[in-house]
Amino acid sequence: METIKNITSLCPECLAKIEGSKYVEDGKVYIMKKCPDHGVFITLVSNDADHYNLMEECFDVDRAGAKSSLTDVERGCPFDCGLCPSHKQDTCLAVVEVTDRCNMKCTYCFANSSMDDSLDPDMDTIRKMFETVKKCQNDPTCIQISGGEPTLRNDLPEIIKMGKDIGIDHIELNTNGIRISKDQDYFDKITSAGIDAVYLGFDGVSDDIYKQRTGRELLEVKKEVIKRCERAGIGVVLVPLVAKDYNLHEVGKIIDFAAERVPAVRGVHFQPVFYSGRSPSERENKVTILDLLEAIEEQTDGQLKVSNFTPSLMPHAHCGATCLTLIDNGGFLPLTNVSLGAVKSASDVASKTKKSIMGRWKGLEKEKESKPSCGDLLVKSSCCEKPLSDITVKGSCCEKPVTDVLPKSKPDMSGWADFIEMSKNNYLTISTMAFQDVWSYEQDRAENCCIHVVTRDGRFIPFCNYNMTSCNGDFLYRDAA
Amino acid sequence: MDIKITEELDNLLKDNGIKKEEIQEIIDNAESNGSKLEAIDGDLCIAKGCTDNLTMYAVYSPSELVDVYAHKMSILGLTGGELHDVEYDDSSDWKCVKCDEIALERNVDMTYMGVTRPGPGLVCPKCNEFYVSDGVAKTLKTAESILEEKRA
Repeated sequence: METIKNITSLCPECLAKIEGSKYVEDGKVYIMKKCPDHGVFITLVSNDADHYNLMEECFDVDRAGAKSSLTDVERGCPFDCGLCPSHKQDTCLAVVEVTDRCNMKCTYCFANSSMDDSLDPDMDTIRKMFETVKKCQNDPTCIQISGGEPTLRNDLPEIIKMGKDIGIDHIELNTNGIRISKDQDYFDKITSAGIDAVYLGFDGVSDDIYKQRTGRELLEVKKEVIKRCERAGIGVVLVPLVAKDYNLHEVGKIIDFAAERVPAVRGVHFQPVFYSGRSPSERENKVTILDLLEAIEEQTDGQLKVSNFTPSLMPHAHCGATCLTLIDNGGFLPLTNVSLGAVKSASDVASKTKKSIMGRWKGLEKEKESKPSCGDLLVKSSCCEKPLSDITVKGSCCEKPVTDVLPKSKPDMSGWADFIEMSKNNYLTISTMAFQDVWSYEQDRAENCCIHVVTRDGRFIPFCNYNMTSCNGDFLYRDAA
Repeated sequence: MDIKITEELDNLLKDNGIKKEEIQEIIDNAESNGSKLEAIDGDLCIAKGCTDNLTMYAVYSPSELVDVYAHKMSILGLTGGELHDVEYDDSSDWKCVKCDEIALERNVDMTYMGVTRPGPGLVCPKCNEFYVSDGVAKTLKTAESILEEKRA
């Protein structure tokens, strides 16, 4: 047994702050921690210490703190969230929950849900939440409207419009898609209000999967949402929750499904199940990032390999891994690879992630409109920061053409010219995100978190802390907030 | 041979991050050992020089530098390996001076940041030296920026 480092974590029983260590045994990485009252807890983190270490070696980001902190340090991390001055990372995505209501009864969800609309935040409260984002997040501001199911609110178009009027640069909508698939009028209003992307719950390509978690057949609903978004020029990110005896066997098919619908579908964002919120108490279904990547490699017949996934530009090497791939005649041409070494970031992690969310994940039509807010962001200074579609071959009229004399009979120009064409539209971002639960919790990761939930009283709470739940179902923050 | 570099070409050198001395050296080498392509029906030549991460080309006439371009990709070799006969006319308008052979238009595999694709090259059938045209180099440059952007 070889200790990697000592960590500060939480007791799964009582949520007290406890000490522990991360260590390697038989080539696997574990977290062990001890609560004076509740004993020792051991959690598997990765099945392969070599891969775990490689991800750390490939991870190298700069960071910038939040524009302003909102709470003081009293009890120490993670009990003073708001953000407190000791939080090390600015927000890349602020999550604004506009309702707790939901029209599905999933067996698993990290969120709460009720059906009482009197508990929804009113417009003034939401305005304050948006204003908190403008105040604390460095520009550009990037939010996700979430819930509950946000489309249960009839005034969602007004909410989106208010966000845009306040000056939020990018607004994406987290939804199960049921209302959008049925109510075109409502969807039209949302798009006119200025929604930038749809973050669509998408657990599989067969109704068996949906019936397991929701009791309903939803595949046609999802397909209809994608069609409607495509017509409206709104980018879609498919978001599968992944668990072992649920849909791990379908991750390759989900990627194929997405690839067939590029560029309407811009990305697949896999979220391995984590045990916060309304969750089963047993943990056998847990999937590590590596389990997921191995399943992807196997189910894409080796076209997308584990080695094509590099640490996401998130606050921590183990928060997720991402692969960017071109879709090449139905096959994949991955552009990322760990063998290329650490990704050197020119700017801090939050602005990079925002660029990714805003650039890669928004609709094509929107890109063409070149809205000043996002356009400015993307075409900052160097050519490397331009959106792909803007990188064009330099005009050749003033340059002396040697090409005039060649080629006579054309060799296949397709290789790199095709590559450029593909890069404009035919690419897919496949990302994975390992949210932390009370078993896997490392304070170090939470302190560097860049996804923050905005509370109704105007605080920012790192996503994993906000949803952190003891094994008895007690929330660290969600209920209190 | 001392070559004239117009202001326009000087700017092009700067755009490509190539020093005047480097391009002069490439031309001098080509002139001394004949490692260059020469236009069959003209007086233009193409010479090539490599550093660790850049392949530079100079296109020149006896009096002046006509064009410069470069690519960061490395050329791995002929697509498909050996130089097999093809059914179409693959002879180019260029000749390898050292071997006195007409260069052939063939696909070569080029690789950059983990991605390998074919692209058209000019290949001497005897010494197997590869050249790319400025048009292809522009395509490669775009592809290079795309790959670099992906890593950023």
